[in-house]
Amino acid sequence: MHEFNWGLLIVVYLFLGGLSAGLFFAAGLANYLEVDGQPAYPRIARMGALLAPWPVALGSALLILDLGNWYRFYKLFTHFRWESPMSIGSYLLTFFTGIAFVYAYAWLPESWRKQLFAKIPATWKQAHRLNVDLAPHRKLIAMVGFPFSIGVGIYTGVLLGAVSARPFWNTNLVAQMFLFSALSSGAAALLLAMVLDKRNPIQTHETKFLITLDIVFIVLELFIILPYIIHGQLSVLAVKQALWLILGGPYTVVFWVFFLGLGLLVPLGIEVYELAPSLLKGKAFHGDRNLALVASSLVLVGGFLLRYIFVYAGQVSSFHKMGMLH
Amino acid sequence: MAMKKKRYALVLDSRKCINCKACAVACKAENQVPVGNTRNWINEARQGEYPKLRIDFEPEQCHHCEHPSCARVCPTGATWMRKDGIVLVNDDDCIGCRYCMVACPYDARYFHEESGTVHKCTLCSHRVDKGDLPACVETCPSKVRVFGDLEDPTSRVHELLATRRYRMKEPQTGNGPQLYYLL
Amino acid sequence: MGTIRMDRRLFLKAAGVTAGAAATTQVACLSYFKKGRSAAAENREVPTTCELCPNKCSAIAVVEGGVVKKLNPNPENPKSRDMLCARGNAAIKQVYDPDRIKKPMIRMGARGEGKWKEVSWDEAFDFAAKKLGEVKAKHGPEASLWSSTEGFQEVFFKNLGLAFGSPNLVRHPTLCLASVNLAYSATFGTVPSFDLLNSKFVIMSGANRFESIITPDTMDLIGGVMERKAKLVYLDPRFTVTAAKADEWYPIKPGTDLAFILAMIHVIIKENRQSKDFVAAYTTGFDELAEHVKQYTPEWAEKETEIPAKDISRLAREFADAAPRSLYYAGRRSSWYQNDFQMRRAQAILNAIIGNWDQVGGMVPNAKLPKGEFLFMPWDEPKAPRVDEIEKHFPLAAKGDGVYLKLRENVLSGKPYPIKAWMVYKQDPMNAMPDQAKTLKMIEGMDFIGVIDVAMSDMAWYADVVFPESAYLERTDPVEVMAGIWPAVVYRQQVVKPIHDTKPNLEIIQGLAKRLGLSDYFDYTIEQWVEAEFKELPIPMAMEHMKKHGVWAASGKPTYGKTLTPDFRFVTKTGKIELFSQRLQEAGYDPLPAYTAPAQPPEDRFRLILGRVGYFTHANQTNNVWLNEFMKENDLWINPKPAERLGIRNGALVEVASSVGKVRLKARVTEEIRPDCVFMLHGFGKKSKMQSLVYNVGASDAVILETAWDKVSGNAAFHETFVKVANA
Repeated sequence: MHEFNWGLLIVVYLFLGGLSAGLFFAAGLANYLEVDGQPAYPRIARMGALLAPWPVALGSALLILDLGNWYRFYKLFTHFRWESPMSIGSYLLTFFTGIAFVYAYAWLPESWRKQLFAKIPATWKQAHRLNVDLAPHRKLIAMVGFPFSIGVGIYTGVLLGAVSARPFWNTNLVAQMFLFSALSSGAAALLLAMVLDKRNPIQTHETKFLITLDIVFIVLELFIILPYIIHGQLSVLAVKQALWLILGGPYTVVFWVFFLGLGLLVPLGIEVYELAPSLLKGKAFHGDRNLALVASSLVLVGGFLLRYIFVYAGQVSSFHKMGMLH
Repeated sequence: MAMKKKRYALVLDSRKCINCKACAVACKAENQVPVGNTRNWINEARQGEYPKLRIDFEPEQCHHCEHPSCARVCPTGATWMRKDGIVLVNDDDCIGCRYCMVACPYDARYFHEESGTVHKCTLCSHRVDKGDLPACVETCPSKVRVFGDLEDPTSRVHELLATRRYRMKEPQTGNGPQLYYLL
Repeated sequence: MGTIRMDRRLFLKAAGVTAGAAATTQVACLSYFKKGRSAAAENREVPTTCELCPNKCSAIAVVEGGVVKKLNPNPENPKSRDMLCARGNAAIKQVYDPDRIKKPMIRMGARGEGKWKEVSWDEAFDFAAKKLGEVKAKHGPEASLWSSTEGFQEVFFKNLGLAFGSPNLVRHPTLCLASVNLAYSATFGTVPSFDLLNSKFVIMSGANRFESIITPDTMDLIGGVMERKAKLVYLDPRFTVTAAKADEWYPIKPGTDLAFILAMIHVIIKENRQSKDFVAAYTTGFDELAEHVKQYTPEWAEKETEIPAKDISRLAREFADAAPRSLYYAGRRSSWYQNDFQMRRAQAILNAIIGNWDQVGGMVPNAKLPKGEFLFMPWDEPKAPRVDEIEKHFPLAAKGDGVYLKLRENVLSGKPYPIKAWMVYKQDPMNAMPDQAKTLKMIEGMDFIGVIDVAMSDMAWYADVVFPESAYLERTDPVEVMAGIWPAVVYRQQVVKPIHDTKPNLEIIQGLAKRLGLSDYFDYTIEQWVEAEFKELPIPMAMEHMKKHGVWAASGKPTYGKTLTPDFRFVTKTGKIELFSQRLQEAGYDPLPAYTAPAQPPEDRFRLILGRVGYFTHANQTNNVWLNEFMKENDLWINPKPAERLGIRNGALVEVASSVGKVRLKARVTEEIRPDCVFMLHGFGKKSKMQSLVYNVGASDAVILETAWDKVSGNAAFHETFVKVANA
């Protein structure tokens, strides 16, 4: 059977990278929106900022481990090749992770910062010079970070989309698909984290915000997936043969049932069901905790499966394997 | 004196190929290819119903493309194209990310476990630079492959491409493959 | 064997000693100067000759750091030119095979149990000599069997058998090509080569040159068919690679090639398309032939062969009209049916009447080159008659080769006398002979079995003592003359020193000879032997040339037509090419090939047919890791129609049973075989654990093949077994 050059580690990294991008975006957005001159969703902003750097940090570590020679990863930074999505991506990733950590630091509660620096010996003066309150600069840092978070969300798609050898990937839609999925995963992860936070129970307006955000991104995602399939089926034979992988081929069930069904449509349905009464009938928004839990988890699973399907099916799809000696 | 530009290529007459695998073993020995990997292979197509039958064999390896997608996506530039067209991998610069493997339309590369880098057919550049033929070209009982410099009007490859009909595999990628299959 | 007097031998000995002294001094001086260049000596190119099959292609070994890294073709060999097949390239892995026999071994447990003890050479020699001596004392030296396969060093093994006093030397030809060789000899007095390089029309019955073995004939035929647009007509129950490349393929009913050929002769004679001048000048028996073939019409042949009569007639015309550049290719392994000799005889006759003898693109008698002989001490001819009673049962067969299956039959019956010791060189009778159960019984009856081989074959696995021979890359061998249309001399010289505790065959024979009191007969070195061979050869500065080039080809062009002179006498009774053979008649065989239909398998059975694949050499090399990659196991080819009837799916495990045994292997359901046959390859299902890649993988055809042979040549008939196939 087919041997896969890129495996689970790459899938996990793509998911985690997108997740961090989405978290950062949602956090930044939550901080940007104001009501009566005050931040509208400060707790979301804080939670998002603190969570954002960790998935991508873990993902990057996995990425490095996946290399044939992991200790050679530094060569990514001794070269720059603008034609290589991976080269550009490594720089994007690094800057983004850095900014995300700085942003997280900017949102550290005063007490936590004090505790952190208390652990560092007083003699290490250089380190203590970093004991700066970045809170006033949050908006600035977020603004600097936004393009990088979008960049990370997009480049993970470009990585695949730029490969002309794999018809399953080689579409300009895949960058947007991954971006919207990343943003949706970010919103969902944030929702999940806050729902699970027993010490600071999530409030209904916060739930409403995140759910609305997620609905927007899922719908945008569907707007990309639908043309990907429909237009693809109206395209050349190689593309049609590639799409067969999810239209009858080995990845059909996982695509339609688990990704599209459980990962997109079911959470969308739950979220719309939650939101609809308040939007259409003016009723009060009733953010059910359990439904939020289910919906957000499913979105995360869906985000992971999207990358799983794309990475694996894409590697199966190939001009010369799908068509015989012709 | 300016060196005249070279463009190495392979012209293959698959009709002559009998799937004897001499080329695969010669390459294996010449380039220390590990067991379980291969730098060249023979595609097979069998058709028909007894007693009307047909079998075709088609050797293949890295196509040493003019615009190699592998070199384009390589983040460190480890994969690069020589001026004479031979596409090589600089083992020292390869980090083993395997993007090139994924980007190759022909799945011509393999991951070399021991060194953690990616290898493929080099058109035996070390032999070519000495004036010898690539191992696969030399050893073949049928002489399926012809190796030469397309820019040299006296070369056999030049003559073949001028006088025979041929095709390349998967030209739609725009890579400009340099393996020419005679029809 | 020479007949020299004692004083000349003394002179030779003295000369040898002097030469040796001079050489030693030279070598000493050279190594003194070479000391500083030892690193350079680790990187070198050494021309030699491949031994992975009998084709003797030339190869140039590239050594780096003292290890053989690559074998390159040697363009100076006029046959192999600049070609090396998969096996030739993979010879490296024969040397560096972790499963190789690394030291002499003596069996500890029961035969075949696999309990071995590594011993010193002395111990191995002593043990073997003791056992051989015991057999000699109790039953006479003729109670020992010496079986071997061709090879440059085979002569030493055979000579030991003879010196020991046994007439029972048996070789591989009656498991292989004895029938075709005898048929052509009986007709032309010699076995010719086929000038495929220049032929315009070639018909082949089997002899799957594009798949079963890659040889210079393969190269010539590909060039002929593809470049020079020669026509290739191919008859085979299977659609092989050769069928795929041929212009016409006929899935001939197995065993009926003789009918096809006789009908062709019928058409040619009826329409007067034979080469009348040639027939008149160089052949006898044409009138008898013409009368004989009257009954063999194309319509009759169609019923036998399932080839349409109109095609048979057309092919006969095309074949005759393309003469003299047309050939009915004789093939090599002709161990097919019980009438094989007569089928090949018919081929020879067909070739003869269209006059392609000694012509460009036809059959050409082999030009030879004189090779010197090392004159050694002769021994007395063994007194006892051969145990296979070859003179009585196969009077025309080559005595020196024996008739293998008759020999086994007699050994098993104990008549005319018992055989109690079995020495084997470079051969695997366990897989080479049909009906493995009988071979195992033969093994059981032996007091002693000794095997000389590079790898642990199944035969070695069942031996009492195993002597590891050095691989060809580790040895210098006697010179070989390749007779042919363009004769050449090839040389094999040591490329690397043996990497394990192995010896070249000569030294093994010498070790045994010493303990058997036969040292005097093997009192020479390989260098002396080779030097004597070079003496008669027309190669200037022979030794230097061969060390540098590995091969010497006779002058520029091949020559044709040397025998086409009115006073040329063919080596036959009449001195002419014998279409009608009196010699055959006198021996009690059909003087002209008469057709008998082959036995047909019963309704629920299939004929098992065999063939080879060029990745391996018979049962050999399946354990070579570079070659094994292409085929890890064998499978049973079966046509989809019978497969469906039997509920067999592609890849399913099936049991194949004959009257002598049964095996299990995977089924390959394929359109590429007739519905009434099944096919399997050779060389798998090994019992030797030291062939780890193929130990118990796939199946051995030897287990299920029934014993049958051609009655004229004694050649085994491997395609006469009918098997039952069912899901396992």
